[in-house]
Amino acid sequence: MYDLTSVLEFDALSEVRPGSSILISGPAMSGKERLAYDVLADGLRKGNGAVVVTTGDGAGSVVEEFRSLVPDLDDSQLGVIDCRGEGGTDEAAIGNAHAHHVSSPGDLTGIGIGITKALEGLHNAGNEQGRLALVSLSTMLTYTDKKTVFKFCHVLSSRLDSAGYIGVFTIDSGAHDDQTLQVIKQAFDGMIDVRDAEGGGREARVLGLAGEPTDWQDI
Amino acid sequence: MSDSDLPVVLIVEDEPDVAETYKLWLQQEYEVRMAQNGDEGLEQLDADVDVVLLDRMMPGLSGDEVLERIRERDLGCRVAMVTAVEPDFDILEMGFDAYLSKPIRSEQLHETVDNLLDRSEYDSLLQEYYALVEKQATLEATKSSAELAESDQYDELSQRVAEMRDDLSETLGGIEDDSDFIATLRGLSDDEDN
Repeated sequence: MYDLTSVLEFDALSEVRPGSSILISGPAMSGKERLAYDVLADGLRKGNGAVVVTTGDGAGSVVEEFRSLVPDLDDSQLGVIDCRGEGGTDEAAIGNAHAHHVSSPGDLTGIGIGITKALEGLHNAGNEQGRLALVSLSTMLTYTDKKTVFKFCHVLSSRLDSAGYIGVFTIDSGAHDDQTLQVIKQAFDGMIDVRDAEGGGREARVLGLAGEPTDWQDI
Repeated sequence: MSDSDLPVVLIVEDEPDVAETYKLWLQQEYEVRMAQNGDEGLEQLDADVDVVLLDRMMPGLSGDEVLERIRERDLGCRVAMVTAVEPDFDILEMGFDAYLSKPIRSEQLHETVDNLLDRSEYDSLLQEYYALVEKQATLEATKSSAELAESDQYDELSQRVAEMRDDLSETLGGIEDDSDFIATLRGLSDDEDN
């Protein structure tokens, strides 16, 4: 079981079953990506492997980011699949992390090969447990249709299940129509909703992982 | 159109004895087509073909070239590479869905073909599942929760979605290994282009 309560203090997150995939949904600039990275950083501190599939940040800057989140980071515990399709690999920044470049966020086969290699690299480095973050589904949805993204999420969840990993995937709730959001949600075991709180700050709730949806709570 | 309801396997192999042996093993369960070289293989290939057994080393077009053309045509068939030595490169990256190294035993051949057909079944179940989810989402996006609670149609749909979700994860065992994973993703990208 994965305990995510040191990232978000919800009982529903205290025992997340291996193989679970969680959607992190919220408006732009509501800290979804931060939250996804915190879930991975928390895992790294506990000896879990971490895989980041990024459509926005370069592999080098993701590795740097995790070095600052987890000061005693062992690079070989981290895999990054950089889907920006931009050249220029910062080898020095990547270090011993498992980095893989994919031509575009719409190249699902390429992303799959990258994930496979990252999982293999982490496995060889001795990781039996791990966490994967995909940031963001919203960018993928601009490259390919919702049907394909839905199926991709489903297939990836199934792969994470057989690896015993958990996955967190971010989506910008303001960037898509209700129907698209409803469809994408169905590919996941549960969801963390994030929003700006009325009095400032942010709040979140958890749906679908254990019991009834939780109430909104400051984070 | 295919003459039977059996899945169609295309054998592309330049050695007649070897090709005949594969055919003998497979013909009870599948409709088998034969081609002696890459060009003939591409002629025999159409939307009915489910699995291609492709010899890598052939005079004329090589297996790799044939594969490339198959993928360009987006036919959605699964391709197993038949090779004399265990490949030391990444067959998944090259676009093959599986490989078999010679000499091949009957049992092994059946297992590979069955496994590739299962993946196609997983694809079509996933397709069906998506159609249900999309309908459900449309109702959720257009009706109030009170209306949904009253709706038998929504209730039934939600049940079917839950059932199919279990089917997908249990009956087929989901994604078991890396080649399943990549081959299934490749299938998704192919669908998208159609």
